[in-house]
Amino acid sequence: MEQNATAIIAEHWAIGVFIVAVIALCAFMIGVSSLLGGRSQGRSKSLPFESGIVGAGSARQRFSVKFYMVAMLFVIFDIEAVFLFAWSVSVKEVGWAGFWGAAIFIFILLAGLVYDSRVGALEWAPKSRNPARKSGS
Amino acid sequence: MGVSMSYLPLTFLLPLLGTFILALSRGHMSERGSVWVGVSSVGLAALVTAFITIQFMSGDQSAQTLTLWTWISVGNFTPTIGLALDGLSITMLGIITGVGFLIHLFAAWYMRGEEGITRFFAYMNLFVFSMVLLVLGDNLMLLFLGWEGVGICSYLLIGYYYRDSANGAAAFKAFLITRIGDVFLAIGLFLIFAELGTLNIAAILEQAPAHWATGDSLVRWAALMFLGGALGKSAQLPLHTWLADAMAGPTPVSALIHAATMVTAGVYLIARMHGIFDLAPDVLHLVGVIGAATLLMAGFAALAQTDIKRILAYSTMSQIGYMFLALGVGAYDSAIFHLMTHAFFKALLFLSAGAVIVSCHHEQDMRKLGGLWRRLPLAYMGFIVGGAALSALPLVTAGFYSKDDILWQSLAADQKGLLLAGLVGALLTSLYTVRLIIGTFHGEMKSDHARNAEPGRGLQHGLPLILLAVLSTFIGAMIHPPLSGVLPASPGESTEAGHTALELIAAGTAIAGIALAAWLFLRKREALARLVSGGPGASLWTLWNQAWGFDLLFDRLLVRPFRILVFILRRDIIDALFGLVASITKGLNAGLTRTQTGRVRTYATSMVLGATVVLIFLAFGQ
Amino acid sequence: MLTSAHMMALTPVILVCATAVTVMLGIAWRRQHAATALVSILGLNLALVSLYLVYSAGDVSTPLLVFDRLSMLGMVLVLASTLACLTMSHAYLEGYPGRKEEFYLLMLCAAAGGMVLVASQHLATLFFGLELLSMPLYGMLAYTYRDKRSLESGIKYLVLSAAATAFLLFGMALLYSQSGRLDIAGLLAGLESSGGGAWALAGAGLMLVGLGFKLSIVPFHLWTPDVYQGGPGPAATFLATASKAAVFIVLLRIVMVAPAFHVEWLHTVLGGLALLTMIVGNLLALIQTNLKRLLGYSSIAHFGYLLVALVVADGLAVETAGIYLITYLMTTLGAFGVVTLLSSPYSGEDASALHHYRGLFWRRPYLAAVLTVCLLSLAGIPFTAGFIGKFYIVALGVEAGRWWLVGGIIAGSVIGLYYYLRVMVTLYLVEPGMRGRDAPDNWGMKAGGVVVLGLALLVIAFGVYPTPVIDWMSVLTSPVH
Repeated sequence: MEQNATAIIAEHWAIGVFIVAVIALCAFMIGVSSLLGGRSQGRSKSLPFESGIVGAGSARQRFSVKFYMVAMLFVIFDIEAVFLFAWSVSVKEVGWAGFWGAAIFIFILLAGLVYDSRVGALEWAPKSRNPARKSGS
Repeated sequence: MGVSMSYLPLTFLLPLLGTFILALSRGHMSERGSVWVGVSSVGLAALVTAFITIQFMSGDQSAQTLTLWTWISVGNFTPTIGLALDGLSITMLGIITGVGFLIHLFAAWYMRGEEGITRFFAYMNLFVFSMVLLVLGDNLMLLFLGWEGVGICSYLLIGYYYRDSANGAAAFKAFLITRIGDVFLAIGLFLIFAELGTLNIAAILEQAPAHWATGDSLVRWAALMFLGGALGKSAQLPLHTWLADAMAGPTPVSALIHAATMVTAGVYLIARMHGIFDLAPDVLHLVGVIGAATLLMAGFAALAQTDIKRILAYSTMSQIGYMFLALGVGAYDSAIFHLMTHAFFKALLFLSAGAVIVSCHHEQDMRKLGGLWRRLPLAYMGFIVGGAALSALPLVTAGFYSKDDILWQSLAADQKGLLLAGLVGALLTSLYTVRLIIGTFHGEMKSDHARNAEPGRGLQHGLPLILLAVLSTFIGAMIHPPLSGVLPASPGESTEAGHTALELIAAGTAIAGIALAAWLFLRKREALARLVSGGPGASLWTLWNQAWGFDLLFDRLLVRPFRILVFILRRDIIDALFGLVASITKGLNAGLTRTQTGRVRTYATSMVLGATVVLIFLAFGQ
Repeated sequence: MLTSAHMMALTPVILVCATAVTVMLGIAWRRQHAATALVSILGLNLALVSLYLVYSAGDVSTPLLVFDRLSMLGMVLVLASTLACLTMSHAYLEGYPGRKEEFYLLMLCAAAGGMVLVASQHLATLFFGLELLSMPLYGMLAYTYRDKRSLESGIKYLVLSAAATAFLLFGMALLYSQSGRLDIAGLLAGLESSGGGAWALAGAGLMLVGLGFKLSIVPFHLWTPDVYQGGPGPAATFLATASKAAVFIVLLRIVMVAPAFHVEWLHTVLGGLALLTMIVGNLLALIQTNLKRLLGYSSIAHFGYLLVALVVADGLAVETAGIYLITYLMTTLGAFGVVTLLSSPYSGEDASALHHYRGLFWRRPYLAAVLTVCLLSLAGIPFTAGFIGKFYIVALGVEAGRWWLVGGIIAGSVIGLYYYLRVMVTLYLVEPGMRGRDAPDNWGMKAGGVVVLGLALLVIAFGVYPTPVIDWMSVLTSPVH
């Protein structure tokens, strides 16, 4: 066990040094700046600094969920499409099996897209809430 | 395995199916439908039994087993679910399904128009299922299962009229007291399994003589435990007090469960485990002594009852006492023979009593009946035939042959004391039987219920009474249970000396008893009434009416001390110790519940902490 | 290269995925609740049938997936549980005012994930399967999102599950760093040549944490009651049955094969977790008054018992685990099924508070009987399936001489009996001025009712006549590769 512990220390001492160094560096930066930096009190000192403009209103604004929806759908389809790159660079090597695999993959993606559009995930505003547009078009 | 064996499971599956149909109908079934399902399931089981019996009797009558499946198999614990068919179980099977069917049929008449008839037949079918399982099981576990099953059905059926709290109390009493016996039986099972490593009955009987010397203390304990179980179920001293109260149930229940089948399960158990009892002769002797004591005690108690069902209940105890006596002298097949004839004539008596009770608008007090013989001829016939068999009227009744056999066996075994008890018991039997019949059917009608009695009609009412009456005569005694080879030879098989003389004495006792009773209850009624209305006669009457005061004794000796003990121990240190376990559990629960904060951050923290602990453990274990 | 044998072996998974795509397109085309349910059930049944063909074709192994007997067992369990959940979903969602059909889509995806998971022999498929199993579950749990608790349960499961996944991935990374391989067989070979060491052990420990979370092993169990309580009935049922069974089977596979898991200390830690889990799970359920939470705690305790099979990990361990898992699934499906049926059709929060069940017997005797049977089985009363499972576990522990664990099982069962009986008593209490029937009378006609009744009968049948299942299990689990 003794031997073992020595071996472990010998093997991993660098990590220990790294951890100690990180903590020391953080402590140094915060500690030294708090020691050396000057302090002053004032009415506007506690306000958030936004390029010289005084902040107005609440930070907790409500965004339409559609922003998130579109963002998420984009990410999903984007990432799925990345797989096609893998196929494109090896299209000759994988041959027909690869082709059919990619075809099924694309078909599933398409099915997903059809589904998304049919359930209204891509509509900017829900149909029921926008009767004007419906009658207008 | 013959053809008959593969049909064997039907004998209990059919009643089980009946139970299921009735139970699942959720009370939506019409009365007619319930009766049809309830009666026909047992009827079909009886048909199957008849078929199997014919096959069995025409074969070589050797014991056969049918292994259905192995329940679980771990190590050497491999309880199999198997059935065993031999002379003993086929006799019991015949009684259960045959007499059971007749009683079910009668119940269809008895229970007509009652509330909850579906429930009634569901319980009855369940009872038949459990009882068949009890006698067919090839291992003690299955037997125990059936044993508990019939106990539960008995409980349910005694408390059938549950709206009256007294009936509930009676059911409770029966359940608790038989439970005492069941505990003994369970201990016996554990003992056997610990010693022999098996619960298979055939294996036990085979291994026991090699494993134990005769009179070994362990085998004596095992036999005692089995005896304890049998005492509870068969209502023998001192666990007999429940049976008289059990009469609170509907009369067909009393006929089926508390006369013909369930209460004789103790006799069956001892006969089945004869190999254990033969190794413990003193316990076997104890069986005989208890039987003799019970038959006398119950005989006297029956003399002083006024409720016709209670008279029959005490008479049942007394007759089972005879069976125990027979077991005690080693005459196993005499015991089973008496069990069979008793099932016939006691079922007949109970059903006839049921006919009287229904005809007289649920009046069952003898002091309010009387003079019914003209109005209820069929019930009267039942009582006469059944009563004659009960008091063992010579030559023409089944009871004579079986009871005489028991007395003869006790003589042959040279048990003079038991023989004397048996003879006195026979005299008592004649006395209370005649008193019962005269009190119910002769003299003047003592109430409006009796005066307005309406005789029962129809096949359901008549057929069971007539068939059972036929079986209660010498015709029933011609059925010889095929017990040779299953049970050991009786002491009376080797000698014939004095048999005829004893037969004459026994016959004389029965006739003398009947004559004496007729003289007493017909001619000397006023004298008797004066005798019991004051002085020592009255005390004796009260004592016998209370069945020697066992209930009071138990109340004083056990129930009250127990209650006092409980009262004292209410805040006892030992109790606190047990309470400590509970409060520690509760405390731990409260502490742990506090961890369920509902906050995700707590949960995540706990995960991280847990992971850290796991890693630390792994690192240190390294 | 994919051969026809591979394709053949993949058929069940492909069928489930194809059903999912079909259902998705079907929804896009026209919303039809009954038809969607029907198509889903049809697809799952087809997959079950094809599973039998795959089984008779023999073992097939691809680089990522292996189709041996253990995978077959896992797939059967996942598919059967999913079928039961789907059937109950139909009755449940009838009353749901929002979109009903997506629930089936999610459940089919989760089922496909579970199937991949049980067949995985590569860390990539393990991770992929686990995530495909979990992701739809977030949606399913939060499906009735207008109900606060449902939403809460979905979010909670999402956040905590993500944390657990981080542990799992870190563990995988450590193992990879030591062995340089990701396929489990190669990973083992690599570990053996490099001698394992502290990092491999740490990796194994972290993976255990990640998988232990899904199995709600103490101390990673805290999410269980909240999520079970909040999630809609069918989702909670799926989580408690199909999801847990799949994760357990993959854990079983790893523990049985991997030498990194055969270090004595890891077994000790596993044993400690098992003991903790069974005791704490039962203790927490003690005075619980919400049936769904109670079942959640009970499921924690049951996985404590199941862990015993992993701790012993030889002899009959796999067979025991299989038998216990089957009994657990039957019983839990039955119990949750009754809760779901009582909350069907959907009308706000599920009927899970215990006072809803007061006097249930007098209103709905069949459902009360089913619940009674299931509770008896959970308590391990003889002649129910639960007894057989518990018996095997105890026998296994005794045989391996793990007396602490056997003691824990017994203590846990005693505590368990208390709260199971408490619920049972409630079912039969007569309430003064009790309401009449509180739900559609024709539940028995509905498929869900038939399913729970069948499950209760199975529980009893397995308790009385367990031989076929035991034989099947010993065939199914005999050689583990």
